[in-house]
Amino acid sequence: MDGVFDLGGKQGFGPVDRTHEDEPYHSQADARAYALSVAARGERAYPIDWFRHTRENMVPTDYLTRPYFDQWLQTVVAMAIDAGDVSLDEVISGKAKALSRSANPMSVADVRNMLTSPASFEREANGTPAFEVGDSVRTDERGRSGHTRLPAYARGANGTIHAYRGAHLLPDAGAKGEDVPEHLYTVGFAARDLFPEVDNDDTIYLDLWESYFVSA
Amino acid sequence: MEPSYDSEKVAEIHRHLHSHLPSEPALRVKALESLLVEKGLVDPAALDAWIEAYTEEIGPKRGAMVVARAWTDPDFKARLLADAGAAIDEMGFAGQASGHLQAVENTDAVHNLVVCTLCSCYPFAILGMAPPWYKANEYRARAVRDPRGVLAEFGVGIADAVDVRVWDSTAELRYMVVPQRPAGTDGLSVEALAALVTRNSMIGTHRDLTVSGA
Repeated sequence: MDGVFDLGGKQGFGPVDRTHEDEPYHSQADARAYALSVAARGERAYPIDWFRHTRENMVPTDYLTRPYFDQWLQTVVAMAIDAGDVSLDEVISGKAKALSRSANPMSVADVRNMLTSPASFEREANGTPAFEVGDSVRTDERGRSGHTRLPAYARGANGTIHAYRGAHLLPDAGAKGEDVPEHLYTVGFAARDLFPEVDNDDTIYLDLWESYFVSA
Repeated sequence: MEPSYDSEKVAEIHRHLHSHLPSEPALRVKALESLLVEKGLVDPAALDAWIEAYTEEIGPKRGAMVVARAWTDPDFKARLLADAGAAIDEMGFAGQASGHLQAVENTDAVHNLVVCTLCSCYPFAILGMAPPWYKANEYRARAVRDPRGVLAEFGVGIADAVDVRVWDSTAELRYMVVPQRPAGTDGLSVEALAALVTRNSMIGTHRDLTVSGA
């Protein structure tokens, strides 16, 4: 979808603010918001791209102005309302009417397990990859409706396959609750091909799925 | 109920939350915490466990130990560059967002910089919590379009002859930069070398490490 979250290459932003860069959390509220947003997913294994897409659907001014983990927390609450684990009325009033039907909260043991268990998003490939390292590819210039991971700045752009990464779950499908493995590549784009003012030989690399390409 | 996977529905929920939740972030977080605990959706002990893990245990010291080992053990470095997820697992560091970790190496001719323009993906297991600037609009917008300008703000000057490679984390791959070993460190232990490696050097907003660690 076209939204304010798709920030790559957008202009008008000022210097990078390095305040609080050496502390893991910049405030107590930030720490609580982080912990709540990971713990409140509970036993629900929401697809990561449904989480991302729900965040992308925040009110745009909230997305651009609210603290990062505050956004995560509101996203998880929105997902819980959507799935019926808590009602909008309860959230707005701050008063629980009853225990949630899916009240089986993440335990400390679950947390320890998650902290040491990396998730894999690679799946059995469906067919052989269409491209090899060194091949030229062109990305779709229209992008995709719904959740997708082709940023606007790299649409309609010519790049070169830098690496093949196996078949990974397609985010566009994951945001719809579907598991669709698709070939994933790291693609290098000459910065000068992406942005008109660039006059150097720098390269921007993106990880892109096969269906994001059009035939050259 | 299962999630609806309906963009319009969650957008509408967000609009309600925007209008009705406390506008002050700390109050908003507090209100949501007490409700989620009351609903039985959150165990307060689990909240403390998450916070403590990234305060006490998991942070950029892990990444620094990986880099220092790569500097001193060529076989490990080869494994790290080939499959960083497996290499850090050898050191007991596998964890959140490390399943598809990639290590990219700085050289005299190449400088690497990591960003996630679409959200703020970050290799938590190896670098801990991302610094606020990494998650900020300014960095996400500018790192791909003006990486040399961003680096200059961090005090990093890149010679024209050095190629900048920016890695935009658009999939579940996560990137860490292996900075160059500083000169004059031949006799140092792995532990002493690790103390020289900064968090920013593993994201790419710091280039020239020094013996003083600054």
